[in-house]
Amino acid sequence: MRSFSLIFKQFSRSVLLIAGFAFLGFSAYAQGDAAKGEALFKAKCTTCHKIESRLIGPALGPTVTEETDDKWLTHWVENNQALIAAKDPKALKIYNEYNQSGMTVFGELTDGDVANILAYVRTTWKTIQATPKVAAGGAQAADSGPSDLVIYALIGVIILAIIIILVLNKVIATLERLLSKNKDLVFEDEAVEAVTVDRLAGIKKLAKNKKFVFFTLLCGTVALCSWGWVTMWNTNVHQGYQPVQPIKFPHDLHAGAMKIDCQYCHSGAYKSKNASIPSLNVCMNCHKVVKTESPEIHKIYDALGYDPQTQKYDSTKARPIQWVRIHNLPDFAYFNHSQHVKVAGLKCQTCHGPVQTMKEVYQYSPLTMKWCIQCHKRTDVNTKGNAYYENMIAVHDLIKQGKPVTEAAMGGIECGKCHY
Amino acid sequence: MDSNKKYWKGLEELNKTPEFVELNKNEFAEPIPIEDVLTGGGLGGRTPRRDFLKALGFGVGAVTLAACQKVPVHKSIPYLIKPEDVVPGVPNYYTSTYEGNAILVKTREGRPIKIEGNPNDLLSKGGVSAQAQASVLDLYDVNRLKNPLKDGADLSWNGVDDFVKAELAAIKASGKAIRIISSTISSPSTLAVIADFVAQFPTTKYINYDAVSYTGIIQANQNSFGKAVLPHYNFDKADVIVSFAADFLGTWISPEEFTRQYVQNRNSKSLQSKKMSRHIQFETGMSLTGSNADVRIPIKPSEEGPALIALYNAISGTTLPGTKKLSNTNAEKAIAIVSKELTAAKGKALVVAGSNDVATQVLVNAINSLLGSYGTTIDLDNPSHQYAGNDAEFVEFVNEMNRGEVGAVFFLNANPVYDYFKTQDVVNGLKKTRLKVSFANFSDETGSLCNVIAPASYYLESWGDNNALEGYYTIQQPAINPVYDTREAEHSFLVWSDNATKDYYSYVKNNWDKNLLAKGGLSGQSGWESLLQAGLIKVADKPAGSYTFSRDLNAVAQTILDHSNALTTDGGKFEVQLYQSVALRDGKRANNPWLQELPDPVSKVTWDNYAAMSPSDMKKLGYQEGDVVKVDANGYSIGLPILAQPGQTQGTISVAVGYGRTKVGPVGINVGKNAFPFFSLRNGTFQTSAVAVLTSTGENSPLAQTQTHHSIEGRNSIIKEATFTEYLKNPAAGSGKEGGDHKDYNENNLFWQKYDHPQYNWVMAIDLNACTGCGACVVACNAENNVPVVGKDEVRRRREMHWIRIDRYYSFNDNGEGGVTKETEIAKLEDLDHVKVVYQPMLCQHCEHAPCETVCPVLATVHSSEGLNHMAYNRCVGTRYCANNCPYKVRRFNWFNYWNDSRFDNYLNNEHTQLVLNPDVTTRFRGVMEKCSMCIQRIQAGKLKAKIEKRSLKDGDIKMACQQTCSANAIVFGNSNDPDSEVSKALRSERTYYVLEELNVQPGVGYQTKIRNISELEA
Repeated sequence: MRSFSLIFKQFSRSVLLIAGFAFLGFSAYAQGDAAKGEALFKAKCTTCHKIESRLIGPALGPTVTEETDDKWLTHWVENNQALIAAKDPKALKIYNEYNQSGMTVFGELTDGDVANILAYVRTTWKTIQATPKVAAGGAQAADSGPSDLVIYALIGVIILAIIIILVLNKVIATLERLLSKNKDLVFEDEAVEAVTVDRLAGIKKLAKNKKFVFFTLLCGTVALCSWGWVTMWNTNVHQGYQPVQPIKFPHDLHAGAMKIDCQYCHSGAYKSKNASIPSLNVCMNCHKVVKTESPEIHKIYDALGYDPQTQKYDSTKARPIQWVRIHNLPDFAYFNHSQHVKVAGLKCQTCHGPVQTMKEVYQYSPLTMKWCIQCHKRTDVNTKGNAYYENMIAVHDLIKQGKPVTEAAMGGIECGKCHY
Repeated sequence: MDSNKKYWKGLEELNKTPEFVELNKNEFAEPIPIEDVLTGGGLGGRTPRRDFLKALGFGVGAVTLAACQKVPVHKSIPYLIKPEDVVPGVPNYYTSTYEGNAILVKTREGRPIKIEGNPNDLLSKGGVSAQAQASVLDLYDVNRLKNPLKDGADLSWNGVDDFVKAELAAIKASGKAIRIISSTISSPSTLAVIADFVAQFPTTKYINYDAVSYTGIIQANQNSFGKAVLPHYNFDKADVIVSFAADFLGTWISPEEFTRQYVQNRNSKSLQSKKMSRHIQFETGMSLTGSNADVRIPIKPSEEGPALIALYNAISGTTLPGTKKLSNTNAEKAIAIVSKELTAAKGKALVVAGSNDVATQVLVNAINSLLGSYGTTIDLDNPSHQYAGNDAEFVEFVNEMNRGEVGAVFFLNANPVYDYFKTQDVVNGLKKTRLKVSFANFSDETGSLCNVIAPASYYLESWGDNNALEGYYTIQQPAINPVYDTREAEHSFLVWSDNATKDYYSYVKNNWDKNLLAKGGLSGQSGWESLLQAGLIKVADKPAGSYTFSRDLNAVAQTILDHSNALTTDGGKFEVQLYQSVALRDGKRANNPWLQELPDPVSKVTWDNYAAMSPSDMKKLGYQEGDVVKVDANGYSIGLPILAQPGQTQGTISVAVGYGRTKVGPVGINVGKNAFPFFSLRNGTFQTSAVAVLTSTGENSPLAQTQTHHSIEGRNSIIKEATFTEYLKNPAAGSGKEGGDHKDYNENNLFWQKYDHPQYNWVMAIDLNACTGCGACVVACNAENNVPVVGKDEVRRRREMHWIRIDRYYSFNDNGEGGVTKETEIAKLEDLDHVKVVYQPMLCQHCEHAPCETVCPVLATVHSSEGLNHMAYNRCVGTRYCANNCPYKVRRFNWFNYWNDSRFDNYLNNEHTQLVLNPDVTTRFRGVMEKCSMCIQRIQAGKLKAKIEKRSLKDGDIKMACQQTCSANAIVFGNSNDPDSEVSKALRSERTYYVLEELNVQPGVGYQTKIRNISELEA
């Protein structure tokens, strides 16, 4: 079921994305220079501004749309300090509203650049304002995908329908038999009994058929055994384990949409056996300014004892966040992330799955020993450019012969390599 | 040619006592009751069908229910704000110092988990003693005091400060004396703090009190040369070493350093240059040093003085007044030969004595002066600061207390109520003293009698420094925040004396800035930081002057003779020699289970002290081993079990001090008996010998020994040795390689497959001539590999878990028949006074043809392509076939969950102490086998480091825990595929042999023959 909903989610997302791009492209075409403006906006403005809401500076969407004096705006963007110094009333008003913290002076921007930025901001703001209306229909529903409840309800309805059909059929058949065979009500019961006896006789006949019995028993045994086999093998295999986390951290947003490198947060993966869950100060690198209003982000603030109003930390109120561990390797198995990420150059997704699409992370791989060993047997070792492998005669020979060097060939499936 | 010299592990084996023979027939120490089940009550008895079904039903149900356990939810708790230099999963190392040795503290996620040597350490060059290795466990001791106490009740630090300051002010006003009693402090900053305190309270006197002191040597040097110092000895510069009861490899002054020096003239390198020092030991009980000596002469404590006089006479050619002929003819003969050897080696000779008697040490100084030792083997100008105890001052302090003159006393790392011989005097004195403060970690014997215990932070939690040798300074930095509510003792002193600097870190830093950094050519913040990185500074040595002894020795000789006469016993009495055991030393670490379970190097006894007695005496008096005798001397008596100790001088017993603590944590409490009260005071110094009456108590208390747990089954290829003369003729002498190479036992092999080692072949070489048997490797292995402690009872059941053990073999002296003692002659010989000892570290041999692998029914132990014998614990079902089939008996079975079983409260059975565990090594579950893994976690980590750094693995990158801690460098580990590696070179040595190589198991651990320099004296 998960895979189905996942595929569905991905499909609907791509549809939405294409639609979005088409729309954007359309409006960009109409404004001409908004595309150039976007790049500039992201490079210069996003540290302090957002289009739809206030950050360090004002929300640019409404502000720039309301202010139609482009010349004044250009002036402000290129050198706001000059305007303030000249005691321009509009400039002073903004300056005082934002605690007299001056905006960076962008002397390097030409008038054309500023015009591009303004165009971008205005079109984007228009799009944002328009989006809720557009998305009210199919797109938003598609984004969330069909919920599990809907799917279960559908299945339930179908099963119920089948049962009703079967019952109805049976009633009709009985009635028909009654009508066609017996006109006399006295014999009715007998007739029904006779029919039942007949049917039992059929089963009895089947039961006497040794071939049939053997075949049925064989099928039953095979089914039971294979069920047992699969269950036993999967005892304590928690593939798909998706616990509820104390903070709804969306990997799809951070790793997917924002394309933040995995190791920005999981920095241990490079140098340690633990990839490590990032400490909260890593979160604060961005979330001191990004999405400060979200209740989930406030959980970070609470844990740190951080007050977003005063921007001060109070360590006495700090209490650590207890994440629920998803990937539980048993204690007797040694696994080292740096060996796989840094030395072998594996992508995180090889074992952790498409994390960049997961809203909530689940265990993608079975993490069984079979799974480990399979990979060690099949994957070529990345020996290129690593002097470590140069002095290994055996490895050298294999490379010379053009044969693949797997981890298994280097002793990577021996017990003591992981169990000590 | 196999030697047919007979070796034996213990007297039981030598004498083939019926119990021993019977026990050795069995696979396991305790018989499995199969016989009982199969005969008599077992099969014959009737189990009703219903009962059987009930039991079966319950069993199946219980197992099913137990298996239905829900998978636990694991929490993962990251740092809130991660310290920049901590990466979870990667160890950090911090320089620090342990009793003057520069060390590295390995920490994981902020907790110290192992002590490693600093390779630049001047004393032991990276070697670490068993005590230092074990010290990390004490950090997590749950029985340490968790906060300050006043009159036994908890109190805040502010409360303590207010109280002590008010008291001190009152005492200052009254003009009464204040005393600081401490075991020797060699930390310049601590000494400065105390000096500041003394300045504030001028009636204060600081007194060095060492339970086992070296006052005798210090005062002798004052008398002889006007320098009240403990000299720095250079055993590496000595060709002939004569020691009178100085256990310099085990406990005397600086054993790690002396081991390193001593072995330099006896290891492979030295032998290859055809050079080997000669070591003659005169002593009473068999010590670690005596057992390593080329020649060991058993003498009584009373004979020590006369023997030294005889030696002086022989060397100087004069005759001191009162000289008498030695009653011990062996010693008499030996003195004559030794004096010739010493004279021949003039300038390269060294005589040391363990005695704390000033007169004896003056005589030793005279002998050394005649031998030209000053300026070569003895350095008085760069002295040692490790011990500065002044016995007389302490005795005077006790008198002062009893006269009511002392207003306040501070006990810093001193516990005289336990280790001073007149305990009652101290107890009475303390009652007359107004303010008594102890800085102890436990409410110990002395602390519990004090008003205030202000627990000092542990050395791993504190700032500090040390100055073990003149010009050698080491820094101590904390590796963890204080685990409990403790603070540095110096911090307390600073607060109580209202010092301008209250914080000890600033104090240490200022002190270094002002006085010490410049000595190392450093300055400022950068200098301080590079000091923290290096951990030490060394000022160039002053030139060691040559001193000549010129005092009159007549009075000295008379004092020595008086002393000897006082000790001389008539029939029925025994001379008692008191010594420090190698594991526990003076008993300060009695609450450390790693040390309690470290077998004594010679007797292999754990968890106890005992009266070591000569087997001949035992036979005479009809004692059996373990019989408890009452030892009565100096008006004090204790009951001690008897240990039959070959080599023990007849008419003497040896008793270890450091046991019998009464107020310490549950591990050390009432382990053994306190022997400190047997000490006495003579001419202002503590004496370590006494005269005792022994009376039988009729009880028997079996000792927990590890030595006789296996038999050598008459196999002669375990120990191989040769004399130095033989070695000079043929370096391969005795190793079985005399003909050029070892006999090939593999020619008829039909059974064993050959393993390829395409990348590495990890092997080890152990030099039996370098190994002194001290046991530091055992504790290092415990710490590195989470080896559990099992306790006294389990050791008695032969269930000790050590992955590496030091086997100690006795053999008889060669008696001129080609070094052979025929088995039939042993009964007639009975000369158990003269035995030779060989130590052999025994660990998993990682055999190529491993017998354990072939018998494992579940393939839990298999061979690797790197030449190792892997052990997968989670696969093991505990059949113990492997242990049974192992010719080296190195596999150990987990009988219990030692880390989670209330019966083993003395070790890891609490979450707190478990913090010491190495997270890279699994803790083993009940019912599985374990054994040396060749520190596979270190091998894997070393390879990974090389891979990440994109370089090939260098020889020496990977060091085993046992190898790393060895001050003697007796263990070499490496890759034998690399012909240039150290281990390949060592294994190519002519002296190399493999233990039990005739079994064709092809071990991965090679040993180098023991060489004894016994040519001349034996002739």
